[in-house]
Amino acid sequence: MSLRIDPEQNEVRALKQVARWRDLEVLEIGCGDGRLTWRLARLGATVEAIDPDAALIRAARKQVPPRFASRVRFHVGRAGKLEYPKETFDLAVFSWVL
Amino acid sequence: MVHALSEARRVLKPNGVLIDLRPAAVHRRVGVVQAGQYHLLGVMRERLDDDYAANRAVADVVRRQFFKPERRVRFECNRTMDRVAEFRGWLNDFVSLGKLAPHDWLMRRVERACRESDVKTKIVVTGPLDLRVLRKQER
Repeated sequence: MSLRIDPEQNEVRALKQVARWRDLEVLEIGCGDGRLTWRLARLGATVEAIDPDAALIRAARKQVPPRFASRVRFHVGRAGKLEYPKETFDLAVFSWVL
Repeated sequence: MVHALSEARRVLKPNGVLIDLRPAAVHRRVGVVQAGQYHLLGVMRERLDDDYAANRAVADVVRRQFFKPERRVRFECNRTMDRVAEFRGWLNDFVSLGKLAPHDWLMRRVERACRESDVKTKIVVTGPLDLRVLRKQER
């Protein structure tokens, strides 16, 4: 498989520009297979990542590099009904969702 | 969409930040790179209604002072593929999920460009992403 998304890393560069990610509690909504999730963890964030597709969440759990595994958690969930108490996160990312 | 944005606002701490990252409401371009040269083969015919609706939802929560817009960045996000079969798979999924008219004309152009080239060909789908930074407002 040679499909590569954003080989120039423009997405991560833009995300680095707009926030200081270190030690932030982040909610990623629409994480898909986790492509962006562990990149956010690499920037220093702790990421709670949700997606409505259970198969994608299973794939995301398998694909996360071990060194970031302690900083990311994947759950099946929907944007319209977030199962978290109010005022939990420093930052929320809508990842190709809206 | 407005409901999802309101939910995000609920779980954000005071002064928290929402980042809305998604493809810009612009048609994607498909081309090939051969011997370092880019050749445009076609512009896709997506429906952009969902993108416009999302833009309206963001404008709505800003108008209601749920969030304050702070920054907007647009940048290119490419998908590259080395094989025609991969592009065919990607295109079929894209057309099917988006309920688009068939893009057989584009598939034929890509196949021809790859078939007629003596050098290694990379297929490139290009389209900008918009990243919006919105700050939670207390009301």
